[in-house]
Amino acid sequence: MKLYVYCLAENIDTLATSLAPVSGISGAAIELIKIDDFSVLVSEFHGDAVPVNRENALAHAAAVGSLLNETTPLPLRFGTVAGEQHLRSYLATHREALKAKLDQVRGCVEMSVKIIWNTDLDEQPAPDDDVGPGAAFLRAKRREILGGERRAEQARQVASWLHEQVRPLVRQDEVSLCPTERLIVAAAHLVAREEVAPYRERLTESRKMRPELHFLVSGPWAPYSFSNIELEFKTRFGVS
Amino acid sequence: MELSPEKPPTAEPEIETAHVEEFVEQLSCVTNSLPSRINIDAQSVEQGLAKLVLTLIEFIRRLLEKQAVRRMEGGDLSPEQIEELGLALMTLEAKLQELKDKFGLADEDLNLDLGPVGRLI
Repeated sequence: MKLYVYCLAENIDTLATSLAPVSGISGAAIELIKIDDFSVLVSEFHGDAVPVNRENALAHAAAVGSLLNETTPLPLRFGTVAGEQHLRSYLATHREALKAKLDQVRGCVEMSVKIIWNTDLDEQPAPDDDVGPGAAFLRAKRREILGGERRAEQARQVASWLHEQVRPLVRQDEVSLCPTERLIVAAAHLVAREEVAPYRERLTESRKMRPELHFLVSGPWAPYSFSNIELEFKTRFGVS
Repeated sequence: MELSPEKPPTAEPEIETAHVEEFVEQLSCVTNSLPSRINIDAQSVEQGLAKLVLTLIEFIRRLLEKQAVRRMEGGDLSPEQIEELGLALMTLEAKLQELKDKFGLADEDLNLDLGPVGRLI
């Protein structure tokens, strides 16, 4: 029998009754199994690979999110499937590293800030009447490259500004610059649970200072961006 | 049940923005560019291989473009050389577009997630 593994946790022995209505992947019942010091949220899984679809993604998020009521879990990557013996072996081998990860996120949640730059940064094109198509092509590429460099610089400045705004309230951050052309900053902040309300207030104030930026603030989430254990797990077991 | 001493102030995630449509559009781009899983069947293996090879070609093509622009800005190319270089890069871009169309790949598919190093392009 294979297990679909949602997340690891500590200091929790049984599922809260509030978790009962939450179904796992493919509608399977989720359960908490104890392996050494770890509590592992799993459900039975029959098959080789987990289909990537909206229903399964929401089921994964709901299961992990429900545990967030009780403790801060270490989420595994969507689609992690393993036999129980493999799971036990993995946890035994990586016990210290996983404990360190749990120490790092204990008492915290992840908050997410995404920022869109609402101003056109592209240089206005000069007329290309005086040159052939090859030279006009290179001129267009030059504008494209310079526009990209300006966006990257702008993104760095905005990320630095955001960091300064929330620094006292954030234990750790993961920042991605320019994931798309207009989405210039995507930041994940690890915030102590008791600091979530002040963090939100701080961001509300900060947003007023930068009307040219559009914000999306979300959370609290399980610390997906700070777990980073999925690749090792995947490599070891070759899970989908 | 033994509960952790870290009960959250609120466990229900909230999403707060005044620009929903903009973010949906931008986040859809990110989602579409996430690496898809590779199923081992003849068609997807062929497409996966094409994606990898074309990503590397795209990476080199962009380097060539940047180098050409730097040389153009540096003033060490004659107008004829600029025109010739531009036409060559135009042809290369068109040829790569043909190959992307043939394998059903979009621009955002041609990238590699290098883990902690970031994305290739």
